[in-house]
Amino acid sequence: MRRMAAALFAMAAIGMAGAAEAQVRARAELRCEPAGEVLLYDCTVALSDRRTNEPLAGLAVTVGADMPSMAGAHSVRPVTAAEGPVKGTYRFRLELEMHGDWALQINLSGATRDRVVELLRFEDGRVGEAPPSRR
Amino acid sequence: MDDHLIGVLSNIGIVSFVALSAYLLLLTGEISFGQQAFFAIGAYAAGIATALWGWPLALALAAGAVSGAAAAVLVGIPTLRLHGLYFSIATLAFAEMVRILFELFRYQVEIDGEPVGPDGAAGFRNIRYIFDHNIDAVQFLLLIYALLAVVLLGFVWLERSRTGVAFRMIGEDETLAGLQGVAVARHKVLAAGLAGALAGVGGGLYAHLTTYVEPRIFDVMLGVHSLAYGLIGGLGTALGPLLGVLIDIGLLESIRALAGYRMIIFGGIVAVLLIVRPRGLLDERAVHGIGVLWRRMRRQT
Repeated sequence: MRRMAAALFAMAAIGMAGAAEAQVRARAELRCEPAGEVLLYDCTVALSDRRTNEPLAGLAVTVGADMPSMAGAHSVRPVTAAEGPVKGTYRFRLELEMHGDWALQINLSGATRDRVVELLRFEDGRVGEAPPSRR
Repeated sequence: MDDHLIGVLSNIGIVSFVALSAYLLLLTGEISFGQQAFFAIGAYAAGIATALWGWPLALALAAGAVSGAAAAVLVGIPTLRLHGLYFSIATLAFAEMVRILFELFRYQVEIDGEPVGPDGAAGFRNIRYIFDHNIDAVQFLLLIYALLAVVLLGFVWLERSRTGVAFRMIGEDETLAGLQGVAVARHKVLAAGLAGALAGVGGGLYAHLTTYVEPRIFDVMLGVHSLAYGLIGGLGTALGPLLGVLIDIGLLESIRALAGYRMIIFGGIVAVLLIVRPRGLLDERAVHGIGVLWRRMRRQT
């Protein structure tokens, strides 16, 4: 059993190793609006490089959502965002389980790999910024 | 593998750490509503270690475990005399105190011209280790389960050791265990420390998986769920809390028709099981029965 534990620990340690590389850091400007049906929202995200401000086009973008107050309990299945007409913009439709504050995880893959988390408050008929957590 | 499936499996793995943390305390007979506090401390400590100090992930997770354990021991010592409801309330109060402290905690460093680090109630973003080190989602998933396997092997060892027996003796009857020569206080502090370390590792993994944490994540909901996983899955084996996590996140999460009603169903399952199987599905009797069956099957083959 000790050998097995040592092997698993070594596997975990190897899994954690890896040299740091200068990756592109993405910035996301996210806008969502009600899509006409309850809990359905149309969103557009504009992605750019944080350092150069260049739009990030040609990426595979998926967007998932999670409620910070119930982390892991209400995960929305990630949807694929389609590239919009403006360079670096992506559009997607989000179907939520309930109104409230949601943390949208914007996952980028392809030439650039990154994840940007944006917090929004989804209410009936409107979407706004999520205020910081309450005491 | 599907992104959502990887996400759900990662969540199951990470939540299992905090569920096992609550289970360890349940073994000693204590019901803690505050394990989310050590999960939070581990998340912030490990996040700060990689994002702000540039530590490797292994060291950062170790820092999360040590911070969680240290905080748990600090809470464990003054609450030694408390039992039952009083202990539960004390742990809940501590967890809320930690959550509010993180709402006030600001420690930012400028990296690439942008402030990075905990920013009070606005949370802690850009814990980007897995992206900066090209660790993909499947690799991170394997890491979570490798660490979870190490922890489970640790539990197998613990169950067979004198310490594990002492934990269960204390859980059955603390006074009687003391009369039998078990160092009750020392074992309870040890259990609290180990439980804090487990939750701390889980928190560190969570921060690196999501790249973002905020105080709201660590509210009482997480603590109640962690406790409920052991009570649903069973207290007879460390696989019990894992079964609880699988039922909640694996089964209920995957049935999309239950979306929005999941918490009601989960609460109902907890209530029913507490009445019909107070020590969960895999309770001591079930584990013993499975063991007997297994040995009989091995003899026959």
